[in-house]
Amino acid sequence: MSFREKIHWVAFVGLVAGFGWYFLSYPWATANTRSGMLTSVWMLFPTTIIFLVPMIAGSAYFAIRTPKEANLKEDEREKLIHLKGTHAAYYPLVLGVWANIFAMINGLMYGWSVNILMATLVLSELVRVGAQLYYYRRGY
Amino acid sequence: MPRLPFDNDIKTLRFLSGEMTQGDLGDRVGVTRQTIAAIEQGKYSPSLEVAFRIARVFDKPLEEVFRWAGD
Repeated sequence: MSFREKIHWVAFVGLVAGFGWYFLSYPWATANTRSGMLTSVWMLFPTTIIFLVPMIAGSAYFAIRTPKEANLKEDEREKLIHLKGTHAAYYPLVLGVWANIFAMINGLMYGWSVNILMATLVLSELVRVGAQLYYYRRGY
Repeated sequence: MPRLPFDNDIKTLRFLSGEMTQGDLGDRVGVTRQTIAAIEQGKYSPSLEVAFRIARVFDKPLEEVFRWAGD
């Protein structure tokens, strides 16, 4: 498994852990209020820590274990995998933006809007990283 | 996954070149070991540039490293 593939696994697990906690703990009953939006903002701090700490620790650990691989530039296959993953993530991103527009037109605001956008971002990232992991396993 | 329409002899050529490892070949070509493995197994179609670089490492013409197998 290459250095970049390992880092993708760490990012995938970090995303699931960080934002899994966020979406399971969020007080959905208050989502459509200003306080719901502020709760979102405050919950982003621990979420970011849950996501970033394993990312930094994992990157450092794998870079120390395989310094040569860590310093290699992306080759053409990895660039292709990168592009394919980003392309796959475009679709949930578009769907999420449309969902947000629909929600705002129908009077949902603040917390819902923030949460729909956040869910869109997280879903897109999961699709991107997940697709890249799939292509790494498949060969390209 | 559809199979690539060409085969390659990279594994044999590596063996004949002093049992060169995938990592060594990758270093000389400028790609990762995993990319060499994917090319060898017919999972990844390299760019023309990488194909030429691989052939140059073995001092062979391109068609002695990659062979068209489709119709």
